[in-house]
Amino acid sequence: MVIGAGISGGTIARELSRYALRVAVLERASDIPYGASRANSSMIHGGFDDKPGTQKARFCPRGNKLYKTLHEELDFKYHNCGSYVCAIGPEEEKHLTMLLSYGKTNGVPGLEIVNGEILRGREPHASREITAALWSPTASIVNNFEASLAFIDNARTNGVDLFMETEVTGLLFDGIYGLDGIGRLDGIDKSKESKNGERARIRGVSTQRGDFTARVVVNAAGVNSDLISRMAGDDSFTIQPTRGEYFIFDKSVGDMVKSFFFSCPSDKGKGVTVARTADDNLLVGPSAVAQEDRENRDTTRLGLEEIFQGAVRLVPGIPRNMAITNFAGVRANSDKEDFYIKALDRPRGFINVAGIKSPGFTSAPAIALHVVDMMKESLGDLVKFEPNPKFVPERRHIPRFSELTMEEREHLAKTDPKWGQIVCRCESVTEAQVVEAIRRGARTVAGVKTWVRPGTGRCQGGFCAPRVVEILARELGVAPIEITRHGGDSYMLTGKTKERMPSERMPSERMPSRRQS
Amino acid sequence: MSAARQVDVAIIGAGPAGLAAGAAARNEGAERVVVFERDWEPGGILQQCIHPGFGLHTFGEELTGPEYAHRYLTRVREAGVEFSLNTMVFQMDKPVLKDGRKTVTFWTMQPERGIEQIEAKSLVLAMGCRERPAGALGVAGSRPSGVYTAGTAQRFVNMEGFMPGTKVVIMGTGDIGLIMARRMLLEGAEVVGVFEIMPWVSGLRRNIAQCLDDFGIPYYLNHSVCELRGRGRLEGVGVVEVGPDRQPIPGSDKFVTCDTLLLAVGLIPENELSRMAGIAIEPITGGPIVNEWMQTSEDCVFAAGNVVVVYDLVDFVSREGERAGKYAARYAMGRLENAKREFKIVPENNVRVVSPQTLTGEDDVTVYLRVGSPVESKCRLYAEPGLFSQRLRYARPGEMNEIKLSASQLKSLASDVTRITVGLEVL
Repeated sequence: MVIGAGISGGTIARELSRYALRVAVLERASDIPYGASRANSSMIHGGFDDKPGTQKARFCPRGNKLYKTLHEELDFKYHNCGSYVCAIGPEEEKHLTMLLSYGKTNGVPGLEIVNGEILRGREPHASREITAALWSPTASIVNNFEASLAFIDNARTNGVDLFMETEVTGLLFDGIYGLDGIGRLDGIDKSKESKNGERARIRGVSTQRGDFTARVVVNAAGVNSDLISRMAGDDSFTIQPTRGEYFIFDKSVGDMVKSFFFSCPSDKGKGVTVARTADDNLLVGPSAVAQEDRENRDTTRLGLEEIFQGAVRLVPGIPRNMAITNFAGVRANSDKEDFYIKALDRPRGFINVAGIKSPGFTSAPAIALHVVDMMKESLGDLVKFEPNPKFVPERRHIPRFSELTMEEREHLAKTDPKWGQIVCRCESVTEAQVVEAIRRGARTVAGVKTWVRPGTGRCQGGFCAPRVVEILARELGVAPIEITRHGGDSYMLTGKTKERMPSERMPSERMPSRRQS
Repeated sequence: MSAARQVDVAIIGAGPAGLAAGAAARNEGAERVVVFERDWEPGGILQQCIHPGFGLHTFGEELTGPEYAHRYLTRVREAGVEFSLNTMVFQMDKPVLKDGRKTVTFWTMQPERGIEQIEAKSLVLAMGCRERPAGALGVAGSRPSGVYTAGTAQRFVNMEGFMPGTKVVIMGTGDIGLIMARRMLLEGAEVVGVFEIMPWVSGLRRNIAQCLDDFGIPYYLNHSVCELRGRGRLEGVGVVEVGPDRQPIPGSDKFVTCDTLLLAVGLIPENELSRMAGIAIEPITGGPIVNEWMQTSEDCVFAAGNVVVVYDLVDFVSREGERAGKYAARYAMGRLENAKREFKIVPENNVRVVSPQTLTGEDDVTVYLRVGSPVESKCRLYAEPGLFSQRLRYARPGEMNEIKLSASQLKSLASDVTRITVGLEVL
């Protein structure tokens, strides 16, 4: 049982699907990726900025190497664009030297410090203020939506069950904990430990949809992983949600940079990045605001201003009016400096994969391998690791119409008229892509967008939103008013026109409650 | 892939500009005139504009959008224009020389026919415009549902029969937003108010009167929606008053409860195809640079309607569409000579938008222009040297002004004159 279908849960589930095991992934959101895996820099880090000896320093360069082949196997967008950490002045240059030595110890290949002139020769839009930069050729950028989906999608093909909108409310135990055998959010009543000395064992989880039994539970619940861990009696870490705000700019300015630009971290924070995304937009961000709220993904006027100012420090010409949207993500940072990856002694069968902060996305595939090794070593008596004879490592993403050759497009359009029907003009998305996204699990407007991009373009869904709502309703066999933007009460429409006369509508009348689709 | 289909005049878009261009091209004598339209019926955005107010100039009466489209469609069908509906033009090449003249090639996709390559002797770009989304304004906050552009909401209500919300705030005073304020109210929604960041209204004055004042919907100038709140559905918006620098006035923030925000914050000519074809775009209008023949920087490509410049009235769009169709047909038939002269129209003194931007001087022309900021007193509109002068009682950004110039006037200009300045002088 894996709790959480983010990049950590997804990579672990896919790694487990190599074995003849029954694996389920529980996800509380309506669409994946949802948490930190949804809103981040989509960066595959080189692996030079983590202190040698840490788990981060160990998993990040390894993850970087894995992505190099994984993107071919799993067909998500990946560009080996390289990255520059940019220094302005001698103080910041010292930092580059330190990163270079970290990188060498961590085994990151190809690192090199270049001066400002060389940088500007390769990147004409880079600021004249930049005096030197650390070049990391193995750094890459992915489409983080596609990558997250790819692992889960492949895991499902290989037999893993995914349960969406399923929120873990408790853990079930055998053995020494609690009379009712349930770990609760508010902790475990140790006074009720049984006396027979038997080791506590995980028995499953309870959710708002009922109980699931499992011999092993992996906690990859991201920003809520400490709450889940507490249910198991491990309160050795606390998540400190940290919000990061971003701007996305139009594709027409995407080529202002070829590589990923980092600022030098300063006492003001890690500094913003400027990058060309895997889909050729320009990405600017993030800020870093520590907060109590695990759910608050709001952008703020000040935050957006701060990241824009940080970005133009590196690339002065970014035109603000070419922004097409802004968003924020919440990092699942913990109070520990490093990742917290641990198989608990008691209860046995419970594994924390928590505090997967930056470079978590990069590290995830390496962490997944490590977690499975850990299971094999210490939990072999609970689950047998025999190869899954039906395991297929490859998986294909839904064809991206905008990137096909004219012959491929023609071929597809001949096989199914839906391939000839454009739904989203900005990103050239066809109806066939939308239908396939729904077939593979998209249930909301944002879910379809995550899969195949309608609404990510410069009109931000102005033209295609009504079409996507219509197709979702048709394919799911529900009324258009049941369709939501991202689950919960994020419904798109409030009713039919002229359902009632205005005089019949009370001013204080609440919105009708609606069923989940 | 099969050989390219040959067309004399191809028109992209069956909105008011494309329809007018099609009819004009046929009436001018072009043989194979085909209009490519991505929607399954012609008419463009007119089909969702069920309110009256269209056609006063063209037909001398007030029509609804679909009625106006219908009248034009009849003309177009009588003229023998061919339609290719539900057809998306998704790729276009830069025009190339073929047999001594430029031709343009593009690719279309249609569910039943698949992909087709089209080669046209001349082309009219008539793709219209799109609405500016919230992201372009940098509105901060959460990402709830319930935030729509006014046009998307109009489509939901008028064409699909669904309500996008029940308690509405409108951001911006663009015409579609004002129309939708009234429309949502008539459909039973509560309309809280309209907030405009500028000290003036950006749409037509008549829409303020007929859509807001007549229905008691308040509007606030120098106000901006700066924040969205609500995790699922929109729960409300943060509104702030702005100073003369358009920056928020500290302490003026207030929260307005609503479940829907409609955006009427500007229209952007839709020129992705034009860019693929290498057409020169003017940064202020966002549309192709054209002369009075509506000819772009590529000889064989013409453009008309909101793809060139966002017009205030559909009648003007039709008029310029006719012009584009006529000259595109002449080009296709080899009857359009290269211009001997080129005048550049240079805006000054508060004139911000001008179209066309160049003139050959071969034909009479109406130059459309918009002022940058409103003048609410007597003023004089002029074109120099000595071409045009007209007194006005006011000039407002929401309403276009026209300068009519005749070919004979332009031909009489001294041979060293290459610039025509147009401006607005406050008296």
